[in-house]
Amino acid sequence: MPLLATRQLTKRFGGLAAVNQVDLTVEPGAIVGLIGPNGAGKTTCFNLLSGFLRPTTGSITFDGEDITGWRPHRITARGLVRTFQHTTLFHDMTALENVLLGLHLSSRLGIGTVLLSRRVYPPDEVARAREVLELTGLGAHADQPARSLPHGHQRVLGIAMALAARPRLLLLDEPVTGMNLDESGRVMSLVKEIRDRGTTILLVEHNMKAVMGTCEHIVVLNFGQKLAEGTPAEVSTSRDVIQAYLGAGIAHA
Amino acid sequence: MPSKTPGQAPGKAIIAIVIAVLVLLALLVPPLGGDYYVHLLALVFTNVILAASLRPSLTCGQLNIGHSGFMSIGAYTSALLAKHFGLPFELSLLSGAIVAALVGVVIGYPALRLRGVYFAMVTVAFVEVIRLIAQIWVPLTRGMSGLSGVPKPNLLGITLTTKASQYYLALGLMLLILAILYKLERSRLGLIWRSIGMADPLAQSLGVNIAAHKLLAFMIGCFFAGVAGAFYAHFIRFLFPPEFGFLMATNILVYNYVGGRGHFVGAIVGAMFLSLLSEPFRGSAYETIFFSIAMLLTILFLPGGLITLPGKLAGLRSWRAASAPSPSPAG
Repeated sequence: MPLLATRQLTKRFGGLAAVNQVDLTVEPGAIVGLIGPNGAGKTTCFNLLSGFLRPTTGSITFDGEDITGWRPHRITARGLVRTFQHTTLFHDMTALENVLLGLHLSSRLGIGTVLLSRRVYPPDEVARAREVLELTGLGAHADQPARSLPHGHQRVLGIAMALAARPRLLLLDEPVTGMNLDESGRVMSLVKEIRDRGTTILLVEHNMKAVMGTCEHIVVLNFGQKLAEGTPAEVSTSRDVIQAYLGAGIAHA
Repeated sequence: MPSKTPGQAPGKAIIAIVIAVLVLLALLVPPLGGDYYVHLLALVFTNVILAASLRPSLTCGQLNIGHSGFMSIGAYTSALLAKHFGLPFELSLLSGAIVAALVGVVIGYPALRLRGVYFAMVTVAFVEVIRLIAQIWVPLTRGMSGLSGVPKPNLLGITLTTKASQYYLALGLMLLILAILYKLERSRLGLIWRSIGMADPLAQSLGVNIAAHKLLAFMIGCFFAGVAGAFYAHFIRFLFPPEFGFLMATNILVYNYVGGRGHFVGAIVGAMFLSLLSEPFRGSAYETIFFSIAMLLTILFLPGGLITLPGKLAGLRSWRAASAPSPSPAG
């Protein structure tokens, strides 16, 4: 059974179908790439999957359960966690506090508990947050405010926060955008390591080298519709895909 | 923004000493100062409670311009229960706070789904509706004649007859409430409030039920505004609907902005500073002018509020020190 499956997923904004009847399946344990030219509907697709937008029609099934139209926090609680395209962090908090928020779901909250505890944050949660920071290579920056981290570290921190929420499926929206070769290489090997630890990955990325090198299965969107899918080799030689990226003239030439 | 880098933060010992000295000074006011100061400071303490209890919502990014409506509910509930049913002060105060919190939930549940200025508009409407109800429901509240004869506060059956004892009650309530609110703000819960205020989609994506947490923060604030109102009712012993109107609500907000929203202390500093300084104008038209000018000056010159003033002054001094030797390059 696939971990994630959409059926005829459609989102219309007025007359424009940003996502149009897309069937998408993600098998457990896979690293799947979602690519396509600008405006192809990739981010809209992510917003639908994570509950930030409601589909106009179609359904989303996660781990056998219909999650269509659920609110974002409920979807996260089921184990489908996303990151954001732009560097979205709690900038005024330390890296550790950012990750602590990722642990929100497993936290014991209650006014009583909070008032009676002597610590600011529960020590076991702090320990787990530090573990996640170590795993992502940010261990040394735990107490630095997020805003003072270099861009590459900020992006990784975004992934660390999502990881703390213990996802079964992690949606990464352009994880290596704006990074140099060295940084993006490190992030992509982190992505592989996350998968090897048991989290399925669906990622959107413009950096083709990163996508082709990491993903085992690729889905190509164009004008909101699924154009092609297959292994990196199949997709990169597909006539339709080349046409979509480079224009009709070149493909026919 | 507060300067919270570890190097700059004063040590815990220093903070403890400052708090101890301030509390000691507060304890010495009744024996050393006159009745005027005792009365004035007890009111300042209620203002501090009101300002601090606005913080949970403010931290979530919700602009509440109707906080005095909840104070009003706490005040009338407690006053009426004590006056007509002889409820002891502890219970009437608690009832006032609980009713204020419940009304907070009823108003907050739909209103907190609105963002920014739309939520603010609902709270403005709310405070005016509460004022009008208090004015019009004459059989219950005596309307514009005012509700008089509210019993003095009592504790464990002993009536607090002197202004000094009531002052100590206000001081105790304020310290207790500040401790609770500070603890909440500096906890996992406060971290969530901050996360909602900074970037609520991100908080949602991490599994935070932002609607529920905004409501909880709002409810906590309403509860303590109700406590402040109940104390006020039994201290002044006369309730007049316009006292709790839009003007009072904006004042509570202005305390927070002028004091500074970046740190818990800001609400306390703002409420103390403004209520003491505005005292000569109390009840006159100049009061509004005073608050408006204070707000304008803050926005223009100290956007982070009074609590950022020491940091700015230190910055100015080091800038002067750095630029002082430069005019002698010829050597």
